[in-house]
Order: sequence, then C-alpha cells, then structure tokens
Amino acid sequence: MSDASLIDELPGELLMWVLIISELLVFGAGMVAFMGVRLTDPAGFAEAQSHLHRTGAAFNTAVLVTSGYLAAQALQWRQVARRGVARLALIGAAFLGVVFLVIKGVEYADKAAQGISYESHPFFLFYYLLTGFHAAHVLAGVGILLLVTWRDDPRNIEAGAQFWHMVDLVWIMLFPVVYLLG
Amino acid sequence: MVNNPLIKAWFALLGLSLGSALLTMTPVPPAVMGGGILLLALIKGRIILARYLELAHSPAWLRGFTIVLTGFAVLIFGLYSI
Repeated sequence: MSDASLIDELPGELLMWVLIISELLVFGAGMVAFMGVRLTDPAGFAEAQSHLHRTGAAFNTAVLVTSGYLAAQALQWRQVARRGVARLALIGAAFLGVVFLVIKGVEYADKAAQGISYESHPFFLFYYLLTGFHAAHVLAGVGILLLVTWRDDPRNIEAGAQFWHMVDLVWIMLFPVVYLLG
Repeated sequence: MVNNPLIKAWFALLGLSLGSALLTMTPVPPAVMGGGILLLALIKGRIILARYLELAHSPAWLRGFTIVLTGFAVLIFGLYSI
C-alpha cells in the first residue's frame, strides 16, 4: 500500500487530522507534565484534588459523549439528505456543549468561593491551564457546530464533528488524569 | 436501531464512564484503581476514534492511534505508580 492511499483512507480533510493530532499532542504533553510535577508532591496533589467536583466532572463526561453521538449522527443523517433532523442533532450537540461549560463554570465559581486560585498550589495551576484550555476548545466547538448547522454541507458537518470528537477525546483522557488519579 | 454502531458506541461510552465512577468507589489498591481507570479511558478513546471519528473504516490508522494512545496511558500509569 502506498503512502498516498494510506493518507486517502483518513475520513474527511487531511488538514483536520493535522489539527486533531496537533491538539492531542499539546494536551498529551500537558498531562505528562502534570503527572511529572505531581511526583514532587504527591500528597499535596492528592489533597488539592480532593477539592474537585468529581461527580460534576463525571456528569460532564456523559454530557460530552452524548453530544459527540449527536454530532456523529448528524453527519450520517445529512449524508442521506435528512437535513432537518441533522440540524436538530447539531443544535442538540451544541446545547450539550453549553451545558458542559455551565457545569465547568459552576466548578470554577466554587473554587473561587473557597479562595482557590492558580497560585494556591501547582496542582491548581495545571488544573486551570488544562481544563481552561479544554473549555476554550469546547467554546470554539460550540461555535463551529452552530456554524455548520447554518452552512450544512456534509463536508462542513464532517469537519465540525471531527473537531468536536477531538474535544471529546481530550476530555476522556483529561478527566481521569486531573480528577481521579490522586 | 440497536444495530446502529453509533448508538452502540454511545451506550458503551456511557457504560464505561459509569464503570470508572464505580471503580473510584471500590476499595482496591491505588495501582489497581489507577490502572483500571486508565484502561477504561483507553477503551473509551478507542471507541471515539473508531466510531465517532470513523477510523473503523481505516484499520491501519486506527491501529496507529491505538498504539500511541496506549503508550500515552502506559506513560501516565508509570508516572502515577512511581
């Protein structure tokens, strides 16, 4: 099999995959750095982690994977010319992205109320950097999903959904590393 | 409807997420819990790659992503276990 045919096997646009791989590498490096710094103060990291809302974050996992399902299903529906239901699914996916951000906002507000900031402990510096950078991607993803709802060419929906699945995939790895491995 | 691979993937992701939550409440040694949580996350990641990102249609790419993701999970587990 030639390299050209292997690249052609990738679904969607090649540049979207370049973006996806780049983002995964950036977040992956951040998580490795987080675990590396944790070695300097495992007890402090565990104590700091105990202040996080695991239940809310676990619920957000369900929210994102459900949103990802709707985005993936929207593409399939659009490919068989079911434009209306595809658009509804995309709006639903975007709405769940907003739900994710609201829950994240409540979590941040709770930390602020406890007097916890990025300066409180190195754990929280990484916590805000990693989850904040991810939340920024969720916000961008919501905008992209709404954009491809409007401009609903199947290729647009595929690109938008792929971005959204990348955001989903990052959270799937970020959640256990930041919230559970104390 | 039940034969829809996307719906199966969605249910699997929800079930595995519930499994992670239950694992954190189970009295097991930290290494077992950490390894189990990362294994479940790895399986979830592979499902997203295969079904949501449609790499199931491109086995070579799915294999490549799975190898890299597995290496990442092993590295995280190693740092967690030290």
